[in-house]
Amino acid sequence: MFASDGSVRAQFAALAERLIKLAPEELQRRQQACETSFLHQGITFTVYSDKQATERIIPTDLFPRIVTAKEWEKIEAGLKQRILALNLFLKDIYTDGRVLKDGIIPRSMIYGSKHYRREMRGLPVPHDAYVNVCGSDLIRRENGSFAVLEDNLRVPSGVSYMLANRDVVRRAFPNLFRAQGVRPIDHYPRELLSTLRALTPVREDVSIAVLTPGVFNSAYFEHAFLARQMGVELVEGRDLLVNDNVVYARTTSGLKRIDVIYRRIDDDFIDPLIFREDSALGVSGLFNAYRAGNVVIANALGTGVADDKAVYAYVPRLIRYYLAEEPILENIETYLCREPKALSHVLANLDKLVVKAVGESGGYGMLVGPHAAQAEREAFAEKIKADPENYIAQPTIQLSTAPTFVDGGVEPRHVDLRPFILHGEKTEIVPGALTRVALKRGSLVVNSSQGGGSKDTWVLSH
Amino acid sequence: MLSRVADSLYWMSRYLERAEHTARLLAVKLETTVEQTGEEAEASWQRVVACLSAEEEAPRDSDAMVITQHLAFDRESPNSLLASLAFARENARQVREQLTVEVWENLNRLYLKLRGNDMLDTRYPATIFRETLQDLHALGGVTYSTLSHGEGWYFLELGRHLERAQLVCRLLDLHFGAAKMMVAAEPKYFDWLVLLKFCSAFEPYCKVYTAAIQPEKIADFLLFDPEFPHSVRFSIDRVCDALLRVAPGAPPNRRASVERLAGRLKALADFTQVEELMAQGTIAKFLADIAAQCEEIHDAVYAAYITYGAETVL
Repeated sequence: MFASDGSVRAQFAALAERLIKLAPEELQRRQQACETSFLHQGITFTVYSDKQATERIIPTDLFPRIVTAKEWEKIEAGLKQRILALNLFLKDIYTDGRVLKDGIIPRSMIYGSKHYRREMRGLPVPHDAYVNVCGSDLIRRENGSFAVLEDNLRVPSGVSYMLANRDVVRRAFPNLFRAQGVRPIDHYPRELLSTLRALTPVREDVSIAVLTPGVFNSAYFEHAFLARQMGVELVEGRDLLVNDNVVYARTTSGLKRIDVIYRRIDDDFIDPLIFREDSALGVSGLFNAYRAGNVVIANALGTGVADDKAVYAYVPRLIRYYLAEEPILENIETYLCREPKALSHVLANLDKLVVKAVGESGGYGMLVGPHAAQAEREAFAEKIKADPENYIAQPTIQLSTAPTFVDGGVEPRHVDLRPFILHGEKTEIVPGALTRVALKRGSLVVNSSQGGGSKDTWVLSH
Repeated sequence: MLSRVADSLYWMSRYLERAEHTARLLAVKLETTVEQTGEEAEASWQRVVACLSAEEEAPRDSDAMVITQHLAFDRESPNSLLASLAFARENARQVREQLTVEVWENLNRLYLKLRGNDMLDTRYPATIFRETLQDLHALGGVTYSTLSHGEGWYFLELGRHLERAQLVCRLLDLHFGAAKMMVAAEPKYFDWLVLLKFCSAFEPYCKVYTAAIQPEKIADFLLFDPEFPHSVRFSIDRVCDALLRVAPGAPPNRRASVERLAGRLKALADFTQVEELMAQGTIAKFLADIAAQCEEIHDAVYAAYITYGAETVL
């Protein structure tokens, strides 16, 4: 909110003036009202560690985050460009593999990925759109520009929090919006519905369902919310069955055919006949119905191959390759150790970089250079040299901060930004995003499971 | 409507009815217990316990507060008021997208409130149950006026009234029928009054029969009054109405099995007279019959609309 010289950045002036005038007790009261509202709405996740299965809300910070019209224009254009290139890439690697033949991206990286689904080879998908719903994580860099940290191309979550946050802030500060020129986001469910609808050639009486793993999934609130807001059925695997390659839902009146499934279940669990046979979440025979063209699944299967750490590093090159354009949004600088030049740079600068194993997640197989001892770094260097293809390196990332209400005052906290992109017959991005915030002072962890919260994001119209 | 959704709505409603019944019995019992002698009060508590808990886990304690605590807030007991509300809420959570925001929020808030005050630390514990009743009635009103009266609504009606018919039968059995023997003392005047209050029936009864409290008339009113919402007859009529409106697209042969049972139950309620039951001493059998037929209807609804084998409809 504040520029480096201590003055209030222009887009915050009006807001700051009003919010800072509020007494701490008043803020506290409104914050409390919001939390109660979340609790009553059941926007909670469950902590199973204790016997009573306590339900906690994801903390919401009432101080909105502001994205100016100009910033948004670039984000929107950049994300559209990116989703377009990623979908062309997915089509390519499931059909001709031109990008592999041309040596743009190594063959082994794709065919060796555990998210590559051979079953998808040559299978047409509607409008060639493999990824229909994408949530990309962005961060604001020191120079003020936004850069992509990660693409989530499988079953990205959080859009319901984006909408719920707007709802509570609107209730807490009803008078703020008009003066600010905040762009509305409430049409997201309608846009999602029309994206899904356009995926099927069925024109009349299209039957769409959201497929959820069930009430114990941490994103269940979102699944139910989206189904309700779109006015479509929320189904679990046990509600569906496949007969003669057609998918049906079991209803009180008999079986009802389903045309489009917005699935919120990972590839692995979607059909025990093809993927993991020990999973009861999915539907036996679903993949064959899909292959026969009798049902559309969004997102398509096998999209995970394009969102891992190594492929991420290639996205700018993919944009140039498929679109013959320069990337509008930057990537975080990433060194691929498989490339000799990058490798020598990484080895020479281990004390400044974070090195990650490509196939691992959750901090496993990772070296945080600045925090590691010399001996550790030397040992890690040997591992990298032994298998350079398995490692990438990035500078330690500094998330930007945004003003946040803390104990009745306003303090800076680290944030990231997740806008949601819809892609099918056309590409739509609702002007808004989920801003995740690390509520602990100095913390960079924005995950809700580790004490992160979220806040409303205002995209301004001017 | 998805079979699973119908299932959840049905059970949500049954559990809410059970919760309401429990809250009302406890409120009434706690409010009236002061005017009874020790022996009468104990017999009366025995009826409440017998009505609300599974036999094997009925509390043996004679302390009213211990019993109340158990019936209201015992987390281990699947029959407590709190457990009924928790089950209702779990079912509602399963079908959140089918409920209005108002219905879900009222139910969720009620549950969180009761869970937050799950100890009888107040001097007038009856007030907790009175408040709970009010909240449940508010929830009923919100459901009535915000939810579409389509198939889902009729599954709620079906669950509520099957449960209610069975609960009222059980209560009557403890005063007139076979289960009456479980309790040491015969019901006295005051117990008949309390029975009416257990069913929210005191004033409606007086409107029909005046304050002249007579067991036979009470039985007639609670079994056969066509207009009183807690009479068995009223619930059976609602069950039959609901069955006509659920599963609208189901094929006639599957509907037939359910509707035959409903017709039989309705005939039983329509053509039996209380004088006959009293004179022939067959009231216990009659109550057992009604309860058993409610069970059969439950099973038939499941077989026809909820758990039917897919191969039967392909």
